[in-house]
Amino acid sequence: MDNKVSMYVVRESGLHSLHPLTKSLMVICLFIAGFILPYQWISYYLFIFIIIPLAIWGKILGDLLKAVWKVSLPIAISVLIIQSLFWGEGTALFEMWGLSPKKEGLIFALTSIGRIILTMSDLMLFTMTVRPDFLMISLKQIGMPSSLAYIVVTTLQIVPSFQRKASTILDAQRSRGLETEGSIITRAKALVPIILPLVVGSLVEVEERAIAIEARAFNSTKNETSIIEIPDTVLQKNIRRVLIIVIIACVIFGILWRS
Amino acid sequence: MFENIKKDFTTRTLVLMPIAIAINIAIGQLVYLLKLPIYLDSIGTVLVGAIAGPWAGALTGALSNLLWGVLPVVTNTFAVPFFYVALVIGLLAGYFGRLGVFEKESPRWLSVLIGAVFFFTLTFFITAFLNLNTDETGYTTYPTPTDLFSRYLIVFIIAILVGAAVGYFLLQKGGYAGLAGLATGLIAAIISAPTAAVVFGGVTGGGTDLLVAAFRASGAPIIGSVMAQGSVSDPFDKMLSFMVVWLILRYLPARFKAR
Repeated sequence: MDNKVSMYVVRESGLHSLHPLTKSLMVICLFIAGFILPYQWISYYLFIFIIIPLAIWGKILGDLLKAVWKVSLPIAISVLIIQSLFWGEGTALFEMWGLSPKKEGLIFALTSIGRIILTMSDLMLFTMTVRPDFLMISLKQIGMPSSLAYIVVTTLQIVPSFQRKASTILDAQRSRGLETEGSIITRAKALVPIILPLVVGSLVEVEERAIAIEARAFNSTKNETSIIEIPDTVLQKNIRRVLIIVIIACVIFGILWRS
Repeated sequence: MFENIKKDFTTRTLVLMPIAIAINIAIGQLVYLLKLPIYLDSIGTVLVGAIAGPWAGALTGALSNLLWGVLPVVTNTFAVPFFYVALVIGLLAGYFGRLGVFEKESPRWLSVLIGAVFFFTLTFFITAFLNLNTDETGYTTYPTPTDLFSRYLIVFIIAILVGAAVGYFLLQKGGYAGLAGLATGLIAAIISAPTAAVVFGGVTGGGTDLLVAAFRASGAPIIGSVMAQGSVSDPFDKMLSFMVVWLILRYLPARFKAR
């Protein structure tokens, strides 16, 4: 099992050394632009002319494309088949075996796929270049409650161990003769003896954890300091201001154009 | 208002939330591996809602879906745009919890009634949907109920019997929890449809895509197909989740609940 805590890819690059907040705004801006601006192929343009150059700058182009390909391919195929073959009325492209893909459906499918690719690559670009702990520290600095940061960081650490626990229980119940293969009913029945021990077992741990963090001054109201300093520059602060303006402009433009 | 929200977040709740998020993700992934036609990715959300109140439930739901897109190994980027649906599920679970649906035991005849009525309504919707008439001007007329009943009498009788059996054997004494789950599922289906239609073109790459394709082929618009698919899958899914939580709360040590 993979022991990595997040999808972060360790590289030395300009993109990696940017402040996490700058990258957050960048990602939000791309997402909003892709969905709100009223140009049909905007998501493809954003992907090719902004996300790919950024990925090259961050030296993660290979990883990014591989991940996006893996996630988007199955859904892209589904969208293509369903939207082009099952589109109600429209101009048929050709007829074969009683099936007639429609032109309108095909265009709609391609637009959807563009949006999927944009959403996926946008998110991946962010998670691959932002260290989760850096993101948390910088969010705390702009006023996010530290309890929220605790939840996020703990979740990132807990999920891998939780999965190990689940597969241990699965193995244990199988060795006691639990059927986990076969018809839907057999598989559905297998869920209860796996889920109940997993959930009840972890809930019992809650008490210990609560005592442990309270003993470490979790509820203290004093300002905490961090051992990690996140580098920030005046230029980036200005870039962030510009990005916020661009986001607002995109939203206003999108609304005006539609009305 | 703000004080009320704050009251939901004790140290114990904060410790519980990462575990609940891990439960969501781990079980969601397990169900996926067992290849069942449901999701079961909101058990933790419902649990926190039931134990710690609506706001804690809402935050758990939203964070689950957002973090699901970041975690390695179990990455599911498709969950991210649906975070607001999970938020509403947690909120509803919390309010239903305050009404006591997770504590009260319902009489078994009520469960039978709920099951039967639900299956009846579901069949009604599906048959009505499959018999939509659209004339040349694009005006859509629904078939009259009497028409449907006379044409599908046997189907309706079978649906009622199956529903009653589901109520008796599956819901048992958790009728109130099951009912709350059904209501939550319907709302989830309605509010998730726009995102599914706009972001993903109605397709999420899962087994439910076949349902969407069937509805599209019968001439329904994309948003209608997605909503129809959701109103078939979601109520079942949420009913099961609420039932599982009802069961878990039964199995938890009394000391845990006393706090």
